Amino acid sequence: MKLVIDESRCKGCNLCVLVCPYGIFQEGTELNSRGIVTPVLDRPERCTNCRLQALYGRMLCGVCHMICPDQAINWVEEKPFEPHKVEVEF
Amino acid sequence: MIAPDWFRDDRLPHIYCTGCGNGTVINCTLAAVEEMGWKRDETVFVSGIGCSSRAPGYILTDSLHTTHGRALAFATGVKMARPDLHVVVFTGDGDLAAIGGNHFIHACRRNVDMTVICMNNHIYGMTGGQGSPTTPAGAISTTTPYGMSEPAFDLAELAVAAGANYVARWTSYHVKELTKAVAAGLQTPGLAFIEARTQCPTNYGRHNKLRRVSDMIEHLRSHAILVQKHDRLVAEGKPIPEGAFTVGELVRRNRPAMGVQR
Repeated sequence: MKLVIDESRCKGCNLCVLVCPYGIFQEGTELNSRGIVTPVLDRPERCTNCRLQALYGRMLCGVCHMICPDQAINWVEEKPFEPHKVEVEF
Repeated sequence: MIAPDWFRDDRLPHIYCTGCGNGTVINCTLAAVEEMGWKRDETVFVSGIGCSSRAPGYILTDSLHTTHGRALAFATGVKMARPDLHVVVFTGDGDLAAIGGNHFIHACRRNVDMTVICMNNHIYGMTGGQGSPTTPAGAISTTTPYGMSEPAFDLAELAVAAGANYVARWTSYHVKELTKAVAAGLQTPGLAFIEARTQCPTNYGRHNKLRRVSDMIEHLRSHAILVQKHDRLVAEGKPIPEGAFTVGELVRRNRPAMGVQR
């Protein structure tokens, strides 16, 4: 699973920056095509839901998905499997 | 997790301002409805007038967008005519407490089988930030430029006194707890009232030094105290922090309900 921000819906309120326990969302600096500063993702593969949702078969943390007032945060399936290094910070 | 097919994708993004908490409350409600396993054609969302009442317009079910303050009257009619439908009412503080106050207390008294979710943003957001019955004392709004001089309505306590079967209060910061409270309210026969305190950075925060969304969320988070802690402080005779409001499940009881299908 891959964490994505829907740029067409995000209004740049940065509530996800406030709630993410891993600090994956960082305040952005550049305007997008709609004139909105959307948050940027810092190593989204650290997200617990990205890594373990398929294993547990349920939503694990999902606070950003629930608190996003614009329904802009979602997880999408990655079509071809891409092995990548996972860094977990303690 | 909310299935994306509950939303009317062609209507999104919605008209709410940046950082408005109403979208969060929609998320929590839909997650709870999904948890209940209700079908889309068995669920009706009813709303009145205001920012919060635009919510059913973004949800792909049958919905009623009714006159100002009369959402509960229309919802009672829906429930009486078709007791097999699940009725959920979205309403705001101006809608429910100001113009619809009488409908609210009588719906609680009759204990009609529906769930009322009040998005309380402490202000009339849509019309430009006039003071509402739930504006806290001292808060500045367009109609109270020297600070609100009247005490505010405590909607959850009002619902408890009027006789609702389930009453809870959470904020839009407490998403998991709010989802659980809405799910408990949907399961309860009789009127379930959930007050969700939301942030309004545009019209409330701008006048009250809480312009940033994070400031407003932090204000809600730091002023919320659990009912159990509040009761303990009262029992020990300790002072309750100023401006604090209780969150949690305030009442759950089994008064005879109206409109429950047998």
